[in-house]
Amino acid sequence: MKKYISLFLFLFLAGTSVSMAQSETISPARKQAIDSLALEKVKDLSKYISIIGSKETQFSEANRVMDRAEELFAPDAEMGVSSLNRKEIAYYKVRRYFERLMALNYDRVNITWYDIHYISDLERQPDGRYVGVVTVYQRFEGTSLESGLNYRDTTKKDITIYVEKKQTQIAGRTIEFWDVMLGDIRVTETSA
Amino acid sequence: MRKLTIIILLIISSFELVSGQGLYSPGSPQDDGRFASSTKQVNQFFRRFNGEESADGSKRYYDTDAEYRDRTLRGKFISILFDNETSNVESQLKSDFLKEVLSENLPQYLAFHRGEWFSEVETTFIYKGKRENVTLFMKLQPEGLGYEWVVDKVNFAPFKNLFKKPVGDQKSFLHPMSHEIGFMNLRKAFQDSKLPEAYTPKEYEPDYLTLFLYEIKNGNLKFDNVLDVKFHFFQIDNWYFEVNQFNRPGFNTGWLISNLIKLKPGEKDVVQRYIYDQK
Repeated sequence: MKKYISLFLFLFLAGTSVSMAQSETISPARKQAIDSLALEKVKDLSKYISIIGSKETQFSEANRVMDRAEELFAPDAEMGVSSLNRKEIAYYKVRRYFERLMALNYDRVNITWYDIHYISDLERQPDGRYVGVVTVYQRFEGTSLESGLNYRDTTKKDITIYVEKKQTQIAGRTIEFWDVMLGDIRVTETSA
Repeated sequence: MRKLTIIILLIISSFELVSGQGLYSPGSPQDDGRFASSTKQVNQFFRRFNGEESADGSKRYYDTDAEYRDRTLRGKFISILFDNETSNVESQLKSDFLKEVLSENLPQYLAFHRGEWFSEVETTFIYKGKRENVTLFMKLQPEGLGYEWVVDKVNFAPFKNLFKKPVGDQKSFLHPMSHEIGFMNLRKAFQDSKLPEAYTPKEYEPDYLTLFLYEIKNGNLKFDNVLDVKFHFFQIDNWYFEVNQFNRPGFNTGWLISNLIKLKPGEKDVVQRYIYDQK
């Protein structure tokens, strides 16, 4: 059902933007709709990450999901990961990050997401696109049956979102709509 | 119409291809309030400082909302925007600050695009085969259709140590009749001397940013990493404060004020000089 809501949003945005195409600023109502769309993308990403990380996911399925997850991102997006013990950022291309996640040496992996998020205001960048950041929190639990070791962490993920007005042709009509792409993600281990 | 139906069906079916545990799935761990209370982004610092979001953070207030910039709400928010665990900002100073910022006649707010705030970014670069710390001072500037962060100043110890202009008797010079000998003594200044900066005007300041870019372009400085980020705010009249990120257990976390100074006339320049040159 939730997916139908995002579809509705897609169409709603497409419909309303025709009359507001010249508008330079984003109204609170429009911002709210864009926030919902951005959150849908982040939800998709979180779901994909959970699937890729799960040990129950077949290799071929994980690869397919990685392809889907990559499609959420703008080109050249990177993940920057740091931990409590290591302030330096380890940089990974998005695909590499997913591959590392898939290859983690645990028998059981459980990735869940806290019921909290924060969506920043949108700022316009020099090329006219808007940029914002969505913050979510992820809990990771990995269990190694042989050694009996459990690893658990909570990470804060600050996810760049690019918001852009695009055009599409539907039934001969040019429809403008707002699209959201994900960008660089800063991953920080928290003390929680 | 058929095309539209196909597109809709394609979109719906693509959504249903995967299943799993995503954001807000049943069984998601619940925040006990720590993440909600944390000032998660600098953007949220601005919102809270200005009283532009609801107490629980679930709603962003705009100027059409009755609660927008509500004085009581702001007071509560600003109180929790201080690092109350390690920074030792005196409570009297905080109260004075709050009083001025929340003034009924002339309340003061932060504005993202107003300038008078900048970022200090601690980075590492590889220089002559060694990892070296480089401090970058970043500022926001209008560009094209929007804004961008740019490197405004740079602090790099090897550059600073490079320029040590001697003073007094130690300082060599080109005598005042050098022009009569066609400045032939420049040979002494630039060939024999290891301190050519001795021959520059009193007001000469090395431009470290140009040097920094020159060394990057020549391949002598290579970016390595980002270690730390903080922000310096001079937007509130006669006050300076510093904002740092606190990643620790508890409820007083995220982007918080770690230093607060009441500025007397003329002290703003002193503090800025200190920030730019402290390392």
